[in-house]
Amino acid sequence: MNLTLYVERDSIIHKIDPITKLIYCLVAASVPYIISEHMFTFFLMLISIALLFIGKVFRKMIPLYLLSMFIFITIVIIQGIFHPDNVTPLISFGPVTFFKEGLMLALLLILRIINMISAFGVLILTTQVDDLIQSLVKKGMSPRVGYMIGSVLQIIPHMSSMVSTISDAQRSRGLETEGKLSTRIKAFFPLIGPVIMNSLIATKERAIALELRGFNSRRKKTFLQDDKEFLFGKPCQLILILFFIGMIIWRILQ
Amino acid sequence: MKPIVVESLKYKYPGTDALALDDISFEVDEGEVIGIVGKNGSGKTSLSLALTGLIPHFFGGAYGGRVLVDGLEVRYSSVTEISERVGYVFDNPFTQMTAAKYTVYEEVAFGLENLGLNREEIIRRVEWSLKLLDLEGVKDHHPFNLSGGQMQRVAIAGIIAMRPKILVFDEPTSQLDPEGTEEVFQVIQNLANEGMTILIVSHKLEKIARFCNKIILLHQGKLVDFDRPQKVFSRDDLINYGIQPPIVTRVCRSLGIRDEKSGYYPVTVEEMRKLVKQNE
Repeated sequence: MNLTLYVERDSIIHKIDPITKLIYCLVAASVPYIISEHMFTFFLMLISIALLFIGKVFRKMIPLYLLSMFIFITIVIIQGIFHPDNVTPLISFGPVTFFKEGLMLALLLILRIINMISAFGVLILTTQVDDLIQSLVKKGMSPRVGYMIGSVLQIIPHMSSMVSTISDAQRSRGLETEGKLSTRIKAFFPLIGPVIMNSLIATKERAIALELRGFNSRRKKTFLQDDKEFLFGKPCQLILILFFIGMIIWRILQ
Repeated sequence: MKPIVVESLKYKYPGTDALALDDISFEVDEGEVIGIVGKNGSGKTSLSLALTGLIPHFFGGAYGGRVLVDGLEVRYSSVTEISERVGYVFDNPFTQMTAAKYTVYEEVAFGLENLGLNREEIIRRVEWSLKLLDLEGVKDHHPFNLSGGQMQRVAIAGIIAMRPKILVFDEPTSQLDPEGTEEVFQVIQNLANEGMTILIVSHKLEKIARFCNKIILLHQGKLVDFDRPQKVFSRDDLINYGIQPPIVTRVCRSLGIRDEKSGYYPVTVEEMRKLVKQNE
């Protein structure tokens, strides 16, 4: 039981070094803010979507895109109607007029969001959390931070199962947890109290268990997993970093 | 050198007035299996924590006396140093899992990675632990998908992979069903056969009587007795310390079946059977 979204597939994207994918993710998400061009952002978005197809994980992204539709509609309405730079009416529905300037900005924002989601999708759906953490710890990230990232993904589902157990226990003692909003608010405190107490106790016990297994050892940590053979590590990273620097220089020179 | 030496140990938790451990002294020989018994609040867990160094390093508080484990004075050593000599397994198998590993194999290796052992040594030790605890069949399973007994065995495997000379079990079966309890005590028996020095805190006195060479009886933080199970469980005043001797001992007491030479009642069915045969 865990929250990782990794999808096991045999693809070239899965075989790329996690650090390279992380750098890609950061570059792809930040460059559209440096170069605020519709076509350029659209092009980057297409690259990320193409990588999702190559990684055979595009279908897993569809629910995320659908979920984002609510945000997209909100952006179109707010920017299209209310943006302060709006001067050129484009389309009207009764008293409501959408302006060209606002809609163009909304389109840019939507392209950026899709691009960002897709780039993160490339990282999250094709990389095992353990591999990413191990790579980052080897690059100098604190093992404690690595542990924190890794454990949160497993502990949250357990907390949710604990909430359900406590909720059942309180219901069996006559606590109303369903129905009107006021009933739910009243039920909140008898539920959240035991959840917090249980979590604190579990955290203390886990801290003891970790301490006893050398978690705070000052020795240099080693790894059970052998270094996996990843493809295109250094060349890809170099290209991405040069691309990023190039974009900054281009923006400055413009 | 004795693996455990405790001299005049006194301890008080932060923010409390009463001593949790009051002038405790005892020594344990190598390979002995010691049961720690007493009613709730008698200081059993505090004594276990003092042996692992979590008292005073993790819990703080007022501390006096000396605890030496494998020659190392606990007060002046880090918990990591002590953890290479003393393993500690407690009641909740779930919170003993790191929650950061995806297979039993990786879970068992966690402590060894922290100790900075090389990969070959990690693999050697993990496989030894898995074999000793009969976990080879589930080595690729997610730790959270195991039964309570199996999860507790994974916790023990993670500890013994660090090759401590001393193991402390603090109510290791209190959250387990009878099957899981039997699994864990069987593991303790196997570890004892490997020559490890073991201390077990448990309310399951039948098991304690069966597996332990000696028993420490605690009451209100004081050491009341430290002797063979037959002697401790034959005490007339045991009830004053909130302890009911094992059922075999109680039956034998009511029937007057005891070892004539020592005057102690048997604590296991085997001992009872032997005595009855002798008296026939």
